Amino acid sequence: MEKMKFTIGKKIGFAFFLSVITLMACDKNLQPFDSKTDKQALGTPEDLQTATYGAYAGLVHADYTRFQHILSEYPGDNVALSGTTTDPLYNVYNYTDFPGNNITTSFWRQAYKVIFSANQIIEHINEGESEVLDQLQGENRYLRSMAHFDLVRFFGRPYAQGASENPGVVIADRTDGDPLPTRSRVSEVYDFIIADLLKAAEQMRISKDSRYASKEVAYALLSRIYLYAGQLDKAIEYADLVINSGRYQLVETAAYKTYFRPVPESNPETIFAIRHTIADNRLKGAIGSMYYNDPVTQSTGWGEIYASMDYINLLNKYPEDARHSFIELQLDANGDTLKRGNVPKFYINKYNWQENIANLSSPVYLRLAEMYLIRAEANAKLGNDQLALDDVNVIRQRAGLSGSALYQLGDLKGHESVLDVVLEELRLELAFEGHRAGDLFRNNRPLVRAYPGFHSLDRYNQTINPTDARVVFFLPDREVQINPNLEQNP
Amino acid sequence: MKRMLQIFIQAMAILFVSVVHAQVRTVSGTVTAKEDGQPLSGVTVLIKGTSQGGNTDENGQFTITVPEDARELEFRYIGYLSQTVAISTAGMLNVALEADANELSEVVVVGYTAKQVSKLSSSVSVVSGEKLRDVTSNDVSSMLQGKAPGVIVSSPSGDPNATPSVTIRGSSSITAGSEPLYVVDGIIGGTANPNDIESMTVLKDAAATGLYGSRAGNGVIIITTKSGKAGKTQVNVNATTGFNNASMGNFQVMNSQQLYDYHKTFFTPQDFATQRPASLLETNTNWHDLAFRTGMTQNYLVSVSGGSERTQVYVSGNFYDEEGTVRHSGNRTYNLRANVTQSLSNKLKLTVRLDGSYRNTETEASGNYGAIIGSTRNLPWDNPFNPDGSIKMGTEEGWLGRERDNFLHGWQFNFDNGRRMATTGDVKLDYTIVEGLTFSTNNRVSISNHRDQLYYDVRAKAGIGLGQLTESSAFSRGLITSNRLLYNKSFGVHNVSAIAVYEAEKNYMEENSVLGQGFVPGLHVMGAASQIQSQGADNGNAFENAFSKGLVQVDYNYDNRYYVVGSYINEASSRFGANNRSGNFYTIGGSWILSNEAFMSDQLLFNLLKLRASYGETGNAEIENYQTLGLYSFSAQYAGNSASIPSQLANDDLTWEKAKTTNFGLDVSLFNRISLNVDLYQKTSAALLLNVQLPYTSGFTSIIRNVGSVRNRGLEINLNTQNFTGEFKWETNFNISFNKNKVLRLDQDRDIVADDGFSPPKIIRIGEDMNSFYMRKWAGVDPANGDPLWEKITTNENGQQVISTTNVLSDATPQIVGTYSPKFTGGMNNTFSYKAVTLSAFFNFVSGNSVYNGSRQSYDSDGAYETVNTMVLADGWSRWEKEGDVATHPKSVFGGNKNSNRVSSRYLEDGSYLRLRNVRLSYELPADFLKRIKVANARVFVSGDNLLTFTDFSGMDPEVNLDVDGGESSNRYPISKKVLFGINIGL
Repeated sequence: MEKMKFTIGKKIGFAFFLSVITLMACDKNLQPFDSKTDKQALGTPEDLQTATYGAYAGLVHADYTRFQHILSEYPGDNVALSGTTTDPLYNVYNYTDFPGNNITTSFWRQAYKVIFSANQIIEHINEGESEVLDQLQGENRYLRSMAHFDLVRFFGRPYAQGASENPGVVIADRTDGDPLPTRSRVSEVYDFIIADLLKAAEQMRISKDSRYASKEVAYALLSRIYLYAGQLDKAIEYADLVINSGRYQLVETAAYKTYFRPVPESNPETIFAIRHTIADNRLKGAIGSMYYNDPVTQSTGWGEIYASMDYINLLNKYPEDARHSFIELQLDANGDTLKRGNVPKFYINKYNWQENIANLSSPVYLRLAEMYLIRAEANAKLGNDQLALDDVNVIRQRAGLSGSALYQLGDLKGHESVLDVVLEELRLELAFEGHRAGDLFRNNRPLVRAYPGFHSLDRYNQTINPTDARVVFFLPDREVQINPNLEQNP
Repeated sequence: MKRMLQIFIQAMAILFVSVVHAQVRTVSGTVTAKEDGQPLSGVTVLIKGTSQGGNTDENGQFTITVPEDARELEFRYIGYLSQTVAISTAGMLNVALEADANELSEVVVVGYTAKQVSKLSSSVSVVSGEKLRDVTSNDVSSMLQGKAPGVIVSSPSGDPNATPSVTIRGSSSITAGSEPLYVVDGIIGGTANPNDIESMTVLKDAAATGLYGSRAGNGVIIITTKSGKAGKTQVNVNATTGFNNASMGNFQVMNSQQLYDYHKTFFTPQDFATQRPASLLETNTNWHDLAFRTGMTQNYLVSVSGGSERTQVYVSGNFYDEEGTVRHSGNRTYNLRANVTQSLSNKLKLTVRLDGSYRNTETEASGNYGAIIGSTRNLPWDNPFNPDGSIKMGTEEGWLGRERDNFLHGWQFNFDNGRRMATTGDVKLDYTIVEGLTFSTNNRVSISNHRDQLYYDVRAKAGIGLGQLTESSAFSRGLITSNRLLYNKSFGVHNVSAIAVYEAEKNYMEENSVLGQGFVPGLHVMGAASQIQSQGADNGNAFENAFSKGLVQVDYNYDNRYYVVGSYINEASSRFGANNRSGNFYTIGGSWILSNEAFMSDQLLFNLLKLRASYGETGNAEIENYQTLGLYSFSAQYAGNSASIPSQLANDDLTWEKAKTTNFGLDVSLFNRISLNVDLYQKTSAALLLNVQLPYTSGFTSIIRNVGSVRNRGLEINLNTQNFTGEFKWETNFNISFNKNKVLRLDQDRDIVADDGFSPPKIIRIGEDMNSFYMRKWAGVDPANGDPLWEKITTNENGQQVISTTNVLSDATPQIVGTYSPKFTGGMNNTFSYKAVTLSAFFNFVSGNSVYNGSRQSYDSDGAYETVNTMVLADGWSRWEKEGDVATHPKSVFGGNKNSNRVSSRYLEDGSYLRLRNVRLSYELPADFLKRIKVANARVFVSGDNLLTFTDFSGMDPEVNLDVDGGESSNRYPISKKVLFGINIGL
């Protein structure tokens, strides 16, 4: 009896032991469930397309979309901040940037991630293999250039102020570059971007809608960059290429009033937009959240940054201007203007209501209207006054203005020069789209704020000269500490 | 037959000897243990008053020659009370030794075996029985706080659903986690309800932790759950109930009048007249009282324990309910455990342990910033109620607070509920192959399932006009088998034991989340959503990891005086690179029990005098599951197309972190009333897994590599004294540990700066403490104009450093300004008892660390934020008002004063504190009264947790997380002061 129990017991023990062991695979080579190794992820042309979508997705990331907007628009005089905030956008807005600023740090990081994504794909494609692959390499070159341009205009001084001496940003053109690179000069960065875009335009021969890059998208960005670099003939040449390509047309006045609501691929004027889908809705973290808070529910956004009184006064010169529809003045029950702090609440709605969702928008990076104005500015500087005014009037007519509201050579409506006219139209047309501060400093003009807002001690007046140190942002503290080869901005 | 012959021969020999040498004779006998009659080998038998004698053999028998005039023999054995026995003239002298109930004889589970504490060569701390259960909590690690030297438990949150962090002997890893390994009932992992725990053993040095080798780099906490005992069935009923109140420490925000007066100092007169009219003073809302309440805690336990020779059973059911001090937060847990041991035969024993728990959690869901932040940020001038008594949303005109949010409003409609079920089942078979050789297989399955629902109603502000529901769930399954061969043998004075273990483990985890929008008020199932919002990577993922291990340990002692133990471990894990998947670890230790030496036999001073030393290598594998691969992640999309993004750089060489620990220990026990343990250790961790920071220009933030080395050195002292042992008893336990941390090596000698723009910046630099803060150094306030000042360090022409001050933040020099590693920590427990009344008081303390008070950036901002509340200046603080003032705080300026509230050492404070963690008064009901109501024993008690804290820290609580991401105190769930009443009944 004892013996039998002994055997059974032993058998039970062994059986259990064996079953548990076999239940467990001793395979240690486990692969993640949501990722693939880089060799697998860049193998076929379909993989490269998927990876290219990933590079675009890098732009959709809030660190790029939102912070690029803040860094480009908030230093301008079309917006007014209505209260203090712990968010460092406060320091971006009032020119008191500091090296540990999370906004500049995150934007720098995300921009270089987009560049790395693009570099990986560019290096995996041999030129001339196929139309599809050339197109992809071109799209990635475009993305690489776009990110480099945004970086150099935030961290490098304006081109006209000594581009060949002033430090720009790190040019990242390979995946295995110098681990501790130095900053290239501003002019070197521009040269790199221009060469890349020219190559991209050559390679992109497939037509794609405004969610993606294509030949004319590269031309449009080139036109803008040539203007920034002071190469006026080239700026005009490429603006012409875009305008005359027949791919785009200015949206008509009535539809223009809700320009930003339809999705970009169904908008004939948008050249390139960072497409946000419902899944990319940033809710209160969206760009539109700072500018707009749904009056009905009062809870969709922060609604703390408004159109400046200065901008409103400019717009009010012509009450019929269609661009009024981008501003929504908030009134109380008695019809009086609502204010926050001392700032009247002029909500801006350019970043709201795509697909009927309060804060969903696909920020427009390039649109046809800008091409007319680039051409106008270059012509004005070259002395081609009539040509400049013609383009300005095209934009004004589209905005519903006519007759005496248009400019004539003899009637500059109080402006001292045609260039002033162009700059004012730029301000009116491209307000809140990240252009104003860049436009002023490119033309060596000071930024003058004389309107209510939390930008100075008296909450009204502030002047920033184009040579001011804070016209450019500090490089992220962290980068300068990890990489001693990077010189910090003064 | 053989026995009879032996005795006969011995008797003859004695006679013979006594004839030849008339001055000596032989005494023989057997020594057994009193409680079970088993023979005891290695017992020292001495002629009383001399150091001559011998030892008992493996059968407990001894034979010694004694002088004719010898009268008494003394018997000594560690763990047993010594006995002096008169030598009888009749033949055999049989002695039964009684077990010594004090700690030295305590048997603890350590490294796959159970041993008496006195026989260990390693540094362990044991906390058991009543000492564990003074604190009422449903979290296991909070029971250890301050009770074991070198163990720091920090509970920086009073949230009933938060778990504390535990570090043992300092942080020794930067990336790979500092949490110790938990072993429940002999198997790695597992869960246990605090009420079911019999004892906890903390293993600290390599000789002890070594057997858990690869994952024991941060120490091991062994938990042993209760089991039944043969004999009378015991039924225990415990009921505890109590009240908690939030403790805000020294932190206080202003009331209506204070804030009004303060704003007056920096608003321009015109603005102040228009924006801060005196009518504001009519409202003085106390947001704290609206957010917090007195929470009630209840804990009910019923346990049954009993059995026979062959079967032992322990079953318990527990109900724990804690209302958080923040309204609408709480935790309710049901737990059931059954531990059954059954001897299937003389050689085969089966143990089955089942533990199941079901938990419901509630978290406050007012939305937006939440009630905790709202309670301090909201302005006292905002009235949360309309004139008709209804609740405002906060978005109404005239609401002054910046957030425009009233948490009371969201509470009417929103909720955040979680449900968690966890089951663990252990099956263990012990089989005695031959005497001294046992085979044991231990197997565990753990399954847990978690579901959380966060609902923002369309009527609430957080519902953004749509209504929103987030449902997330997680599932995990762990399988582990541990198979051991144990060997135990004594050859005279030589005692050997050895174990060989093979273990394999596999874990699988899954998580899912869905966000839906568009809900009609009051409906909250996902089917009612009008649109489903995808969340990208949060939508769902799965993870796996696997470990396997083989080890051998040999343990030898000579005569219970000299001990040597050594082990070798080899472990492999899926987490490491293909080139370096497995690691080898080894340990060696020894000890010398001086008090068992012959030369110590006379003295009465020392009950125990023991020296220990150990050395070994352990590892740390707490990194993410797939870190060695170069990866593209597919959680992204663009314009609705699948997208892949580079997410990780490859490193095939990635391997275990290794820690080499040397430990010297001294254990002394005097007069049976004083026991002292002193440990001196050095732990050097090498091949540290570091997120080596890369410049962002590389496209990545960091890459993980084995570089870097950190050393922890320290001293631990544990002192236990029984001051009075008569009818009035007083026992004191004091423990203190000192630890010094130093970084020895880093990748290319480069500093690692951690600065994400949100947390206080930290630096890891060679030669410094690993947990160092790195920020601009505050230099006070300029008396001339009230400007903030920081230190600026420049180098002059001679190469010397020049220190100056500047009022421009970006010109100031970031430098190391302090560390959040404490200089020493510890605890002290005093227990007084007189007859049936016992009073115990337990303090714990932490000293010498700096804590960054992050919330001061908002609440102590010198006028930067006038639409959130401000903190009342702490004692010793002063604000600059006029020229010549020497003050701690700069002049308040509307909009802020020159970035004075940005990150700098201004907000770095001393985090030292002494806290009365627990006070407990209990009364044992008289036995005769209990007999009449058929109750075996009963006790009532009242206890208080966290009643007193002594600290200079100006924030809510100086107790912060002390692991790698720690050192910061911010606006968070405050800890509670608790008062509890309870009764323990044994039937």
